[in-house]
Amino acid sequence: MKYKFNGKDYWRSLNQLAETDEFREFLHREFPDGASELNDTMTRRNFLSLMGASMALAGLVSCRKPVEKIVPYVRRPEHVAPGIPEQYATTMPMQNSAYGLLVESREGRPTKIEGNEQHPSSLGKSNPFTQGAILGLYDPDRSKQVRHDGNPSSYTELVTFWRKAYTKYLRRGGEGLAVISGAFSSPTLARLRSEFLNTFPQAQWAVYEPVSDENVFAGIEIATGDRYQPVYHFDEADVVLTLDADFVLQERENILHAKEFADARRVESAGDTMNRLYAVESSFTLTGGMADHRLRVQRRQIGVFTLALANALRSQGLDLPALEGSAKESYRFDMKWVRELAQDLLSNRGTGLIMAGENQPPEVHALVYALNSALGNIGNTITFRDPDDSVTPDMESFRSLVKKMNDGSVETLFILGGNPAYNAPADLQFTRALEQVPNAIHFSDALDETSRQCQWHVPESHFLESWGDARAVNGTRSVIQPLIAPLYESRSPAEIFHLIARGEDSDGYEITRETWRDILGESTFQDDWRRVLHDGVLQDDVSEPRSPVPDQQAIRRALSNYSPPTTSAGPSNLEVVFQTSHSVFDGRFANNGWLQELPDPVTKLSWDNAAVMNHKTAKELGVRNEQVIQVRHQGHQLELPVWIVPGIADFTIVLELGYGRETAGRVAKDTGFNVYKLRTSESMWFGEGATVSPTGVTYELANTQDHWSLEDRPIYREATLREYQEHPEFATEMVEHPPLENLWDEHEYDESPQWGMAIDLNVCTGCNACTIACQSENNIPIVGREQVRKGREMHWIRMDRYFSGDIEDPEMVVQPVTCMHCENAPCETVCPVNATLHDDEGLNLQVYNRCIGTRYCSNNCPYKVRRFNFFNYTKDTPEVEKMGKNPDVTVRSRGVMEKCTYCIQRIQRTQILAKNENRDLRTDEVVTACQQTCPTDAIVFGDITDPDSRVRQVKQQNRDYAMLAQLNTQPRTTYQAKLRNPNPALEDYELTYEGVDNNGEH
Amino acid sequence: MAQLFPRWTNKIPVYLAIGVVILAVAVVFLFWYYGSPKYLEVGYQPRQPVPYSHKLHAGDLGLDCRYCHTSVENSPAANVPPTQTCMNCHELIKPESGQLEAIRRSWKEGVPVRWTRVHMLPDYAFFNHSAHVNAGVGCESCHGNVAQMEVVEQEKPLSMQWCLDCHRNPELHIRPMDEVTTMGWQPRDNQLEYASKIIEKRNINAPTDCSGCHR
Repeated sequence: MKYKFNGKDYWRSLNQLAETDEFREFLHREFPDGASELNDTMTRRNFLSLMGASMALAGLVSCRKPVEKIVPYVRRPEHVAPGIPEQYATTMPMQNSAYGLLVESREGRPTKIEGNEQHPSSLGKSNPFTQGAILGLYDPDRSKQVRHDGNPSSYTELVTFWRKAYTKYLRRGGEGLAVISGAFSSPTLARLRSEFLNTFPQAQWAVYEPVSDENVFAGIEIATGDRYQPVYHFDEADVVLTLDADFVLQERENILHAKEFADARRVESAGDTMNRLYAVESSFTLTGGMADHRLRVQRRQIGVFTLALANALRSQGLDLPALEGSAKESYRFDMKWVRELAQDLLSNRGTGLIMAGENQPPEVHALVYALNSALGNIGNTITFRDPDDSVTPDMESFRSLVKKMNDGSVETLFILGGNPAYNAPADLQFTRALEQVPNAIHFSDALDETSRQCQWHVPESHFLESWGDARAVNGTRSVIQPLIAPLYESRSPAEIFHLIARGEDSDGYEITRETWRDILGESTFQDDWRRVLHDGVLQDDVSEPRSPVPDQQAIRRALSNYSPPTTSAGPSNLEVVFQTSHSVFDGRFANNGWLQELPDPVTKLSWDNAAVMNHKTAKELGVRNEQVIQVRHQGHQLELPVWIVPGIADFTIVLELGYGRETAGRVAKDTGFNVYKLRTSESMWFGEGATVSPTGVTYELANTQDHWSLEDRPIYREATLREYQEHPEFATEMVEHPPLENLWDEHEYDESPQWGMAIDLNVCTGCNACTIACQSENNIPIVGREQVRKGREMHWIRMDRYFSGDIEDPEMVVQPVTCMHCENAPCETVCPVNATLHDDEGLNLQVYNRCIGTRYCSNNCPYKVRRFNFFNYTKDTPEVEKMGKNPDVTVRSRGVMEKCTYCIQRIQRTQILAKNENRDLRTDEVVTACQQTCPTDAIVFGDITDPDSRVRQVKQQNRDYAMLAQLNTQPRTTYQAKLRNPNPALEDYELTYEGVDNNGEH
Repeated sequence: MAQLFPRWTNKIPVYLAIGVVILAVAVVFLFWYYGSPKYLEVGYQPRQPVPYSHKLHAGDLGLDCRYCHTSVENSPAANVPPTQTCMNCHELIKPESGQLEAIRRSWKEGVPVRWTRVHMLPDYAFFNHSAHVNAGVGCESCHGNVAQMEVVEQEKPLSMQWCLDCHRNPELHIRPMDEVTTMGWQPRDNQLEYASKIIEKRNINAPTDCSGCHR
């Protein structure tokens, strides 16, 4: 059908631009060659053709009625009703953050995690890590038993061992005793740590995290003389500048930050204002994708950039002392950009926010503090609190402990969580130091790289099995309460800390209550305790904000000593940049199948990491996609394949942490490459002087960016804020097509409820929380790397990522795509057995038992949202993993098609509940899993016939458009077009929409 | 050349054709009849680990269904009672009875009793008890007169056809809310009229879309 699209030109990958054969292959056949054959010599087809009719007859013999058992409780717990889920509040601790959660529990088994609205760090939402955490509980490769010298042992034996050693160390004051722990923010753990250090004054306690925010604290300490925890308030900010800070996903507190940022960005009509985001970064992150202006610089240059910004601010009148940093002239930045940025910050004093990433050195953080302070942002968009109960990473303590280990002065070493043998910086040679320790005890959730080297291994309870507590970034305390008794013989962090501090075994419940008796007071403790457990937080517990005063002398001194590299990276002097993984974080989630299969939001790689670089770098180095190169940095080397992504800084190789684990379990086996081997303690976040040489080998990467391509169709619509104000109807006017007529009678959708969904592209950040939430709620299987390469990933909601603009400096947009539940669904008309059909409420249904696997429906779907079970992906599910499945949703077998159902199980459950209570459905009562979890509330779902429902209000906004509307599918899921808010003085975004004048001409 | 085949063999293809057709029809019919839930499922009366008699407890003693099957009004599943429910009475009543040995052992050792399921729907059909009970469908409508059964047997086919018969015309099976657990209930004379009023008032809407049960 002829149509005209006046929007931008979008492309999914360089392959698409180049129209390579590989890309064409993906376009023309949705499932490439050989997709329906398993790569075995004996394929299903061969087998059947050999066996023929005898197979069919043999099947009849097994026609017996299956015998099913009903196994009730012996003593049923008071509140448990079989079939009805209950929710309990708990908290997920992650380094020194805490995310409050409500976890759905069915008959004593946790099955789905949601955020706790009352908790300040989650506000009811989650990110991929919190959603995926439930799979970690049911991980079949979790360690189940204490091990001593490789042999099965028991916790009592460990306690016996330690009690003997305890008295010995008591006498010595702790000499020869050491602990390595991760970062945490918890009243109980902080209390027990203090007790330990008081009992053993000579003992060493090192805190090491591979992903560490110690530079932030160090910077603030330089600037103010004291340590403070920064709390950002993005909802108060009209102008945001990020300096290599991916606040949307990689930096901590990303749920809160994304939500607040979206609140300031949301637009409902042409009169609304939006915030503005400037991103300066070296890699391409989701924050860069959201940015209105993005500057690509190498990571080493960011400090110098900030100095240039400071100078620009001062020359425009900001009261800043003269700051010198060496080499401030040796890089060339776009000075117009810097000047206009400075101007914008100055016009928004008090409502601006400059955030430097954790990867920047302390000097940059100190400078950023000074700038924020001079601009008056502190107290409004940034506040500070005392880091009470918070233990932050400290590289110095780790380094000095490793030295002591090498000297042989450490006899007994407790490693509490973490995996330093895998992720310690390569130059420290931790494994060698660990060999010198005669009694090393590792407390972790799996028999990992570190545990294998230690004399003792103690299984760590998952947070869903533990008692404990945590403190959120704004100071609010909450309790961690278990949803299930520990599945194996494991202990929680609180119990282990108690053991080493006091030398006795105790129960996590009692330990936590001991802390909370102090916090809540004895008089009404029982009631207050129950209230905290019920709410999931201690109410009104926000810490007092502090107003530290910048010490200009100290800042100036620090900056004059700051000497970043003075030369840019070049082809024989590359910069390697270490980046936290969007899926496995620092490697702790390596055995989590959902997170491994989740495609990285920008590179779209799943199951592996790669040497990510931009096109110019690859061309200079003479390498192509999937070619394995050897990267050498500071005497260390690693071989890994190349992956080209536009928008990365020149001559930079981005290396994602957390892959290449050897002993994490069956899922993590053979996934990715261990870039910790290249990381040194001096270059934790970026390194210079790297060189690259080809190896001649190729490695096939599972990349999803060319899957489900939509062939130049107008799927994404965006405009600038100014264009929107001049043409409020741009979203619908962008595509002209002839009037749409139906071939058949239309359904009459006159009864309530009618379900619909609206996705606001303006606030969607692309974090993928929805993808994992959907996977958790709907029992979606993982398929493995080979199958992903063939385009068979099963995600019902996928995140499409498009680039537009200049090939080296593109813009990036993201779009979540689910089944559109079209009113004129092309899939329904072609199913030969009527397995997909419409119901009276507007849902497009998929009936698994009727489906015979023709796949015509998937063929006909223009949005490519249908997923087929080519194999029985759930055949070998371990028993323990079955516990985490949602019993309200069918677990699909081989040969059936599946797709997003608008969470029909939730719709049914809510409708039945309303019927049982003899009432109508309340407005916005049904919440789909993706909607529930989206931090920015980009996804809105509800009854479109209900005048009060949010979805109806959103759909009536003038940015609303249907994807591929010209096909007359009339989808129930519509999108709200994206807006960017570029600085009018920096209009580097081309005006793409010319608009229509009064005569209807362009 | 001599005829190899006698003349009567000319009729063989015809008889064969007709015979095969009749055979095919017969096979299909036999599968349709004997393979239907009405034949295969009705009358299923498996042996249970404990000789629990509904006739004694629900019938003669008059226990309401909901005394044991407690979650039927709020949950999709009508639970089989935990051992604790049995021991509520049998701690003191007939504490030495040989028939209750399995129950007492379960109580003492903390190992649940493994009952054999009688009314089974396939996994792809999701049935919600609370929706039906709260709409006024009697326990008896689907499970038969359980209070007269020594050993529970399946009385109704529970096939999709059978479910749809009621879903399309629920008037015959809607009862007043206080008669839901009555065994031996007879519909009143003005059942259809009465039920239509109830359906109107309580907004009963038995789904006939696939999404009603298949998710």
